[in-house]
Amino acid sequence: MPTPTLTQSVLIAILQAILVVVFIFVIVPLTLFAERKVLGYLQQRLGATRIAGTLTGLSGFLNRNMWKMGKIPMLSYWRGIPMLVGDVLKMILKEDILPTKADKFVFFIAPAISFVASVVVFAAISFVPGTLFTLPQWVPVIGGLPVAGAVGDVNVGLLWILGIASVGVYGIVLAGWASNSKYPLLGGLRSGAQIVSYEVPLTLSLLAPVVMSGSLQFSELSRSMAVGLPIWGIVPQFFGFFIYLTCGFAETNRMPFDMPEAENELVAGFHTEYSGMKFGFFYLAEYINMTVVAAIASAFFLGGPWLLPFGLQGLFNHFLSPHLPALLVTFLCEPHAIFFVGKIILLLFVYIWVRGTIPRYRYDQVMAVAWKYFIPLTLVNLMLAALVRYFAV
Amino acid sequence: MFKNEEMEINLGPQHPSTHGVLRVKLRLDGETIKHCRPMIGYLHRGVEKICENKTYFQGQIWTDRMDYCSAIANNLGWAEANEKLFGITVPRRAQYIRTMLNEFNRLASHLVWLATHALDIGAMTVFLYTFREREDILDINEAFCGSRLTTTALRIGGLREDLPPGFEKMVQKFLAKFPACLEEYENLLSENRIWKKRTVGVAKLNAEDAIALGVTGPMLRAAGVPYDIRKAFPYAAYAEMDFEIPTRTEADTYARYLVRLAEMRQSARIIQQCMDGMPEGPVMAKVPKILKAEVNEVYHATEAPKGEIGYYLVGEKGNPNPYRFHVRAPGFINLQSLPKMVEGSLLADIVAAIGTLDIVLGEIDR
Repeated sequence: MPTPTLTQSVLIAILQAILVVVFIFVIVPLTLFAERKVLGYLQQRLGATRIAGTLTGLSGFLNRNMWKMGKIPMLSYWRGIPMLVGDVLKMILKEDILPTKADKFVFFIAPAISFVASVVVFAAISFVPGTLFTLPQWVPVIGGLPVAGAVGDVNVGLLWILGIASVGVYGIVLAGWASNSKYPLLGGLRSGAQIVSYEVPLTLSLLAPVVMSGSLQFSELSRSMAVGLPIWGIVPQFFGFFIYLTCGFAETNRMPFDMPEAENELVAGFHTEYSGMKFGFFYLAEYINMTVVAAIASAFFLGGPWLLPFGLQGLFNHFLSPHLPALLVTFLCEPHAIFFVGKIILLLFVYIWVRGTIPRYRYDQVMAVAWKYFIPLTLVNLMLAALVRYFAV
Repeated sequence: MFKNEEMEINLGPQHPSTHGVLRVKLRLDGETIKHCRPMIGYLHRGVEKICENKTYFQGQIWTDRMDYCSAIANNLGWAEANEKLFGITVPRRAQYIRTMLNEFNRLASHLVWLATHALDIGAMTVFLYTFREREDILDINEAFCGSRLTTTALRIGGLREDLPPGFEKMVQKFLAKFPACLEEYENLLSENRIWKKRTVGVAKLNAEDAIALGVTGPMLRAAGVPYDIRKAFPYAAYAEMDFEIPTRTEADTYARYLVRLAEMRQSARIIQQCMDGMPEGPVMAKVPKILKAEVNEVYHATEAPKGEIGYYLVGEKGNPNPYRFHVRAPGFINLQSLPKMVEGSLLADIVAAIGTLDIVLGEIDR
């Protein structure tokens, strides 16, 4: 395989960045859609159905007749998909209101900070170790070259992720401040305190996998937690996983920790004064952050791009693979980005599920949970990981 | 250079959790509430004055529109106050049907309370579950009188019509499934750690303060005072019913939640007894076409879902309209206790407190 020239490397990096952005802009609207539908399902209603008028044509005929028979038609579950486009259009087309007393520059820059911070994090996330796919020969300039599974799988990947992700809180605090209004201010302050508090147990819970694998590189971490152990990381790191996921909920301001935008107390929290696409950026940032948290959890605790845990894989290789077609064996035993994405989607479902089930903590209780329970627990967990590392290696 | 200042903040009148157009003026020190004043009047329509310009029959529809979540309970108080004023005796069958409808109304009102209270605290799924059952109750209302929310189901002197055919089946179907539904809500909330953290010990109002402020209904019973007008001064057919008054002694939001849930069970019991012991007979007494009072005044209190609803009526000789009409609205009086409950606690607690008060602004502002 030829070494790519500088131009070729740059072009491939651009291609990868585009792919990541495409991934984000596919998964975020789908999460939005799933949120409506899954919540609807949890709450014994249909969720979004208004757009996509399938009341005409064949599907419409089936729908109407199933309604008459007293059944909820399956097609109704899929109606409302064009609402994804509608959402985006709505945000772009709505009037962008600038409060007269707002600090104009900060008000403008805050959503950008939130959004950029959440997107840039994706650079270090490795969807699959090594090559994602090889470009076909007919592509000009970069034909025949491999495209890696991450934009920049740097050796300090986890540091990059945590560092950049914590920049996002500036967007929220600044938005609350710049709005020059009382509810956003309260929301921004709450959020600042909350995210800073939860950063600590979140980082500590991720340190345990780092200790166990001895690397900060995302793909290496992912590999050692998935196939370096006989089982997925979730088993030796069960508390780590639980605390990480909970802190992830808090970091992304999701239920039951959605203090900054606790709708019933603070109207809409820090983005009360925002409208149009500026609000849209906060909205997108929240869902991208959810995806990032899910991606990290899936890579470190749920086996990342590998379908089978290592132990099972060994058995599988030994007994079954000689009798199965090679393609299937590759599919089951090699890392594939599709499994990684599947696990992300599973975790996103958990987010929605939790949102539909439990009430919201009070602000002081949220802080107490972080400082009184999670930090000591993660420290103990870290110690356990260190012991395992010490005796196992 | 820096100085500490208390932040003054308006909760409402347009706010997701104040159940309508309540405005609460708060002074916050950080997130702690230092000072709280509820401000009302955004939904004032002058119901009392309007009723003074309507005949006794016409006034009734305005009572529907005070606490629109418990229209039948309001109707019942109005009808009985008038019956007291004019000395009308209501047939026994009508009393039973009234009792049953009133208890259905209590269920509907408590279901709305549970829905909004849970939604305020963030448990959004309960909202849709309770509305599913409330829908059945509204269907029963509709089967009885044709309308669902502001029903005007009762008449002075009895009822306009007897129960429709198939009504009993609807009621039995509802009663058969309702206990399981209550259990479903309890499974979601009662032992939920977060729900308990948000409600246990929050917005306390002890019995002494509650009595001093005139608080009635589940709020009072959750403080350990077993005062329920259905038992204390029985009206309609309540004297013949076998039911309990659930009380708690913790006097906090969680206790009120448990009291209301227990009340729903008792309501279902009363409905069952009404259906079982339903007497035969007419449903309407002989009432003259135009009611004109001698100079006379009457105060009649009934137990609405939210507390004691009292109607004060003064008749005037030769006047087909009441001379003076006043309502003791439970929500209005219970709302007075809000500052007592929340001052010194956190901002998030006021949401729980407003939810536990179970207020309807239509009744408070009248």
